[in-house]
Amino acid sequence: MIDRYVETLSTYAKDIDNLILLIGVLVGFWFILCEVIFFYFIIHFRAKDGKRAEYISGEEKSHKRWISAPHLLVLVCDVFIVVGAVKVWYEVKQQLPEPYETVRIVGQQWAWSFVHPGADHELGTADDIKTVDELHVEVGKVYHFKLEARDVIHSFSVPVFRLKQDAIPGRVITGWFEPTGTGTYDIQCAEICGIGHGVMVARIVIESPERHAAWVAEQSPITLAAANRP
Amino acid sequence: MALNRNHVAMFALVAVSCFVVGCSARADENERGADLYRLCAACHGESAAGYEAVGAPAIAGLPQWYLEAQLKQFRDGTRGTHFDDIMGMRMRPMARMLMRDGDVEAVSAHVAAMPVARPAPSLTGGDADNGKAIYTATCVACHGADGVGNQGMLGAAPLNHSSDWYLFRQVENFRAGVRGARAGDQGGALMRPMVLQLADEQAIKDVVAYIMTLAN
Repeated sequence: MIDRYVETLSTYAKDIDNLILLIGVLVGFWFILCEVIFFYFIIHFRAKDGKRAEYISGEEKSHKRWISAPHLLVLVCDVFIVVGAVKVWYEVKQQLPEPYETVRIVGQQWAWSFVHPGADHELGTADDIKTVDELHVEVGKVYHFKLEARDVIHSFSVPVFRLKQDAIPGRVITGWFEPTGTGTYDIQCAEICGIGHGVMVARIVIESPERHAAWVAEQSPITLAAANRP
Repeated sequence: MALNRNHVAMFALVAVSCFVVGCSARADENERGADLYRLCAACHGESAAGYEAVGAPAIAGLPQWYLEAQLKQFRDGTRGTHFDDIMGMRMRPMARMLMRDGDVEAVSAHVAAMPVARPAPSLTGGDADNGKAIYTATCVACHGADGVGNQGMLGAAPLNHSSDWYLFRQVENFRAGVRGARAGDQGGALMRPMVLQLADEQAIKDVVAYIMTLAN
């Protein structure tokens, strides 16, 4: 349902959508029911000719039931929400599937920059590819990310992955994603981080294995240095 | 056809109308520039005197051509897209917020018209006498003896309005390839071999100390 408006392009995106739907439906049901009853009471017990509006102190058992019965039912709904949330939390946040590659993501006012591991799939080596505003990944592969912030708190958000993770100065936060489709999509900052927060955007380019390998070969600092050599 | 009084009156009316419309357009542009500058003021300050703590240099009174050129470079990614250019990356999204036609020109004209507010030197340890020798040998051909820059020389930057910390940082950026290494950046390509002639950090401090002696 949500994916009619924003595509789902990670292995866990649908789980998160389902959780949002579960919460939305349960909370929405109680919200609408309460509002209907509330307005019914206001209209039904309003002042009429020869009759004052009623004031109910809520001390009688028959009155208290209007609070206690829904309260219990809401608690039952809470159990469903908590079970669903813990399940998703465990699968997305508590588990780290074996990675194909690890990328470094750095947030700063007001840009995202990235370090790709290059052809050797290892970060911290001579063929690391550093980019600003563009993260390149391969479809169908598990990526770990090491998220950092250079100045203030940011939040790395990829809507099509349903991924949102705060970046906190002084900490390196690990997470993961596995893209399920190709294309170019938005990366945003989801934490107010200063005057340029609204334009702190980047793009994630999800590529086929062949295309990604070609990009890595083309952007490798070793290749670029050789091309610039006289 | 002889000019009669009606013709003269009509001509005067048209001339006055053009003048009024022209003034109004200019006033709109000035207003737009001032309005856009409110975004810049958050870092560069109300008087555009700069703020070192956030890496925003003094820009008041810089030539319009230079301001426009830099804003366009930030917008197209020639500046502010290097992984280590922390201050440039902070500036780039701001330049990209100038989205409408004429925004860059309007805000540049506004800043260029601001009175120069040269901040006090904050770098220490520079030898201006030694810096003068370096400047004369390395920089003067493009930036000029008085450091006013040269638009015709691939947009050589005006230096005499700049903060010393900013000049120092930019020289370091050029040396490290953080600035001036992008394909198509002709000015940067010319600047990089020049700054590589500065032997060390002391040489940079010396030349910056000399630039700071150049009167505005």
